[in-house]
Amino acid sequence: MAAPCRKMASRSFPQLLCYFSRTAVGSGACRRFSVTPIDRATPRASTAADRATSPWSLMAAVCLQRLPVITADCSPIEQRFKQMLQQMELEKSLVSDHELRLMEDAERMSRRQADDYDSDEEDRGDQEIMMTQDLEDTWEQRLKNFQPAPRVRADIDKDLSSAQRCLADSLVLLAEQQVGAERLWLLPQAAWQEGETLRQTAERALDSVTAGVKATFLGNAPCGVYKYKLPKAARTEGSVGRKVFFFKAILADGAPGSAPTAPLLWVKKSELQKYLKPAYMMKVDRFILNL
Amino acid sequence: MNHIFRKLQVTFPQQASILNQSLCRATPSIQHPMWCTASINERQYRDMPTHGIGRWRHLLPKQAAKKKKDRNQQKELVSATDTAYGTLNVKVSGYDMTVVEHYSQYIHNLCNRLNIKVAESYALPTKSTEVLLMHEQGNKTYVDGVLKTHQRVVQLSSLNASLCPVFVDVILKNQPEGVQLSVQEHTEADYQARFKARPELEGLIAQINQ
Repeated sequence: MAAPCRKMASRSFPQLLCYFSRTAVGSGACRRFSVTPIDRATPRASTAADRATSPWSLMAAVCLQRLPVITADCSPIEQRFKQMLQQMELEKSLVSDHELRLMEDAERMSRRQADDYDSDEEDRGDQEIMMTQDLEDTWEQRLKNFQPAPRVRADIDKDLSSAQRCLADSLVLLAEQQVGAERLWLLPQAAWQEGETLRQTAERALDSVTAGVKATFLGNAPCGVYKYKLPKAARTEGSVGRKVFFFKAILADGAPGSAPTAPLLWVKKSELQKYLKPAYMMKVDRFILNL
Repeated sequence: MNHIFRKLQVTFPQQASILNQSLCRATPSIQHPMWCTASINERQYRDMPTHGIGRWRHLLPKQAAKKKKDRNQQKELVSATDTAYGTLNVKVSGYDMTVVEHYSQYIHNLCNRLNIKVAESYALPTKSTEVLLMHEQGNKTYVDGVLKTHQRVVQLSSLNASLCPVFVDVILKNQPEGVQLSVQEHTEADYQARFKARPELEGLIAQINQ
């Protein structure tokens, strides 16, 4: 399409500062993000000469992903291999400082309990107040008192509208929107308006559906496109069909905010097929990574 | 020369005893060319047509002389254009060194695969953090443990804007647990922060400026 692509190419790109951190189930179920766009140039208004009239109208959609919070479970082969590697590492490793101290203490104890023990012979530096075994025992005790959060919560996993489900997989946001005469499940989209870039359209689409969720867009370039023709009844001279450009975004940490305006779903890639139409699904399938 | 003398010596006995001529005496009469007379360690005479026949180094293109101080120079900062980001630093940090190193190696290999130019790949100094806990009874703190934060940086010289979302998505999806990832622009200050401070030099500069 003539106008938006040229506009995207001519504006200078915002300089991004992105910070992504992944800690073991810290606060909430999302990764901590901070994005500071340093320099965002205002888009130039396109002149009438730029625009070529085309029968396709443009829309932008956002593919909002919630990244996995915990690592996926290993398959049986992976588990066996992991055990074997750990065993090999243990056998090849050297004794650590803590283990050395344990051995020295045990030796000292055995020497003390011998019959011909002479405490003056002992080469004593400062006697340690805590024996190493006692240190180990206190550590064991502290470990027992620590309760980690459960990795798999079956009840939350079944709730499709919660963003905390399936912590080991990446989820995609789907919204039910009115397209033509029917309501369809699709990635949140909005029509492109004059004077804004496609990425701003995608941001607007996200805001209109979720109202206040913080997301980091991964770039100004779209990751996919889907075009469809309007049904014959709705076609006019000026509009034959629509082209939808998809932009990827990552869900930043934070509470979802106020209640969403439209019904929302967080689905895994394997569950997408149940909700999307086949032709749409084929195009969307190509850019959603299932890593 | 020896062969010539031998040839002269042989011809005399030939004339002396014709009956005793054998094949082996005939062979020394063959004319040997001049080059056989010299031993291997002697240089060839410059008038010879084959002088310098094995030379090949003069056929190679001229190489500039290698300067010794190449390593510590700063690579030029690429500035952002309309379709590509400039020099970017992908910084990976965490407590577990093996995980951090493996992840930075994975990012480097991914860049090589995607034909993204990697300018540099270096490590920043490790920062040690001491964790102090309070005793249950009393106000004293004791050292519970030492946490070392390791940092690795992969510097990309330029990143195509259309490739950026794909690249960032892949490295995010493969981010291991306990590792922080940060993508920032590379600045002059980042480069200078890697050097150690030189107090004597700074003292002298201050003296000059006074």
